[in-house]
Amino acid sequence: MSAYGALAFTSPLFLLFLLGALGATAVFPLRHRWVPLLTASYLFYASWGVGYLLAVLGSLTVATWACGLTLERDERRQGVALAAGIAVALGALVGLRYVPFLADNTNRLLEVGGLRTRVPVPEALSSLGVSYYTLQAISYLVDVRYGVVGAERHLGRFALHLSFFPKLLQGPIERAPGLLPQLSGRVQVRGVDLRAGTQLILWGLFQKIVVADRLAPFVASVYGDLRGHSALSILLATYFFSAQLYFDFAGYTDMALGAARLFGIRLTQNFDSPYLARSVAEFWRRWHISLSTWLLDYVFRPLQLSLRDWRTWGTPAALVLTFLASGVWHGASWGFVAWGLLHGVYLGTSILYRRPQGKLHRLLGLKESLLLAPLQVAVTFHLVCFSWVFFRAPSLDGAVWAAGRLIRGLPDALVRLARGGDVDSVVYLGQGRGAFVGAVALVVVGALLRSYLRRAGVTQERRERTTQPPLASTWVRAAVYAWMVYLIAFAGTSAQGFIYQRF
Amino acid sequence: MVSEKLKGVILKELELDDWDIQDETTAETVPGWDSLSHVRIVNAVEDAYRVRFRTSEIVRLRNVGQLQELLDKKLS
Repeated sequence: MSAYGALAFTSPLFLLFLLGALGATAVFPLRHRWVPLLTASYLFYASWGVGYLLAVLGSLTVATWACGLTLERDERRQGVALAAGIAVALGALVGLRYVPFLADNTNRLLEVGGLRTRVPVPEALSSLGVSYYTLQAISYLVDVRYGVVGAERHLGRFALHLSFFPKLLQGPIERAPGLLPQLSGRVQVRGVDLRAGTQLILWGLFQKIVVADRLAPFVASVYGDLRGHSALSILLATYFFSAQLYFDFAGYTDMALGAARLFGIRLTQNFDSPYLARSVAEFWRRWHISLSTWLLDYVFRPLQLSLRDWRTWGTPAALVLTFLASGVWHGASWGFVAWGLLHGVYLGTSILYRRPQGKLHRLLGLKESLLLAPLQVAVTFHLVCFSWVFFRAPSLDGAVWAAGRLIRGLPDALVRLARGGDVDSVVYLGQGRGAFVGAVALVVVGALLRSYLRRAGVTQERRERTTQPPLASTWVRAAVYAWMVYLIAFAGTSAQGFIYQRF
Repeated sequence: MVSEKLKGVILKELELDDWDIQDETTAETVPGWDSLSHVRIVNAVEDAYRVRFRTSEIVRLRNVGQLQELLDKKLS
């Protein structure tokens, strides 16, 4: 999925591109700043070398913009305009992402039904960024329809709203009330923006190429050959994957936030220490926040209200359906469907478990116990890790096999390890002790630095850094940043593509 | 203005003895009024007044005053 000259966030070329875009915006008056930003965004998209994607983005932009105006101006045609706009966005999403999957599964059904007819299975198309900007288009139309935001009259600014390059390929999925007003040309870039933007880019780069990409080989060696590994190795590789995915996506998000901030634009934060969540519901308030709030507002709430006649079962059913949709959104494969279903079942069950939960805690003496919070964090983390097996495994068969092995084989694997089993291949996942210890240390350092920067207010967009004193002296901070630059330059692995870019 | 009856239905569903509920009151400002209790409140209001809301009508509501207006419209 990369063309020669593609402006990947981790490439030196992207830094040059950012400098060029900054220079271009500096010479334009604020009111017309959308011109260089829109040009840069389309150049950025074009750099990936997939011509038809530019046409898709352009047509979707014009169609959504026109439907938005109709929604506001013509009350009688609101229903048609909303349906047409959503159909265009969903059509682009389905057409680019799901046709081979649908055709393949239709053929399987035909085969099961004993029919000889087959539908042709087309080649998979590139859908880079499509999953993200189509959701943004849909939320814009619904927001205009229900009066949450006014329709944008300026086509150029609306095009920038959908295509703004820092968030084009993998979010955050921005809402119109948050982003559109910032593109109106009244936002001044200040020194604090340039500083915070640079810090965020540096920090994101560190999370991606020093931490996440260092963890990737451990995960790949086990998930590439699940049947050749013990339950303990699968468990450790899944822990590593939970960290890899987090630093990969949070690193990307910080770079996106940083790149936008250089232009004085604030995007929404996607992460809030998700692995410290005390329930799966809380996990979803802290992980990929822009997607989960999107699903909450545009899928879950309407579904929940539509199913309200089912009384007690309405909300759990709406949760299962919403997370199924989330699974399908992540990719056209049964593994993602199973992953979404699993989270739907977790959340649906938690709704039904709410009342007995209090009684159970009292019964176990956990109600006032200091152990309750760490216990809930640990249980939630393991439920999430269990779901990552379905997310990461190459196929649903593989995932089901690995999940079964984890459940049945773990006690046995621990006993064998205690008797002096092959530590090198089981625990170090065949990567050697030094690499293993180094990777664990990087996860710890990554988590500590993330928490430090969060407290310092760098990753929290809504808080002004200037309102509180820095947490460490200038020298300490300079040393930390110098060390980060050193690691990025010399200890980063050759950067792999971002995981969430595939969705 | 929010009627005593509507206020009563909401408070009963939220298991609150009393709370100041005005036209401008929004769900976030009332303890326990989350997305789960919201659906229960809608069900309770529909039952108490023997009316039926469309999903799009409920999604649009921004505060209790608008719920009262919608109810008045349905009942008139």
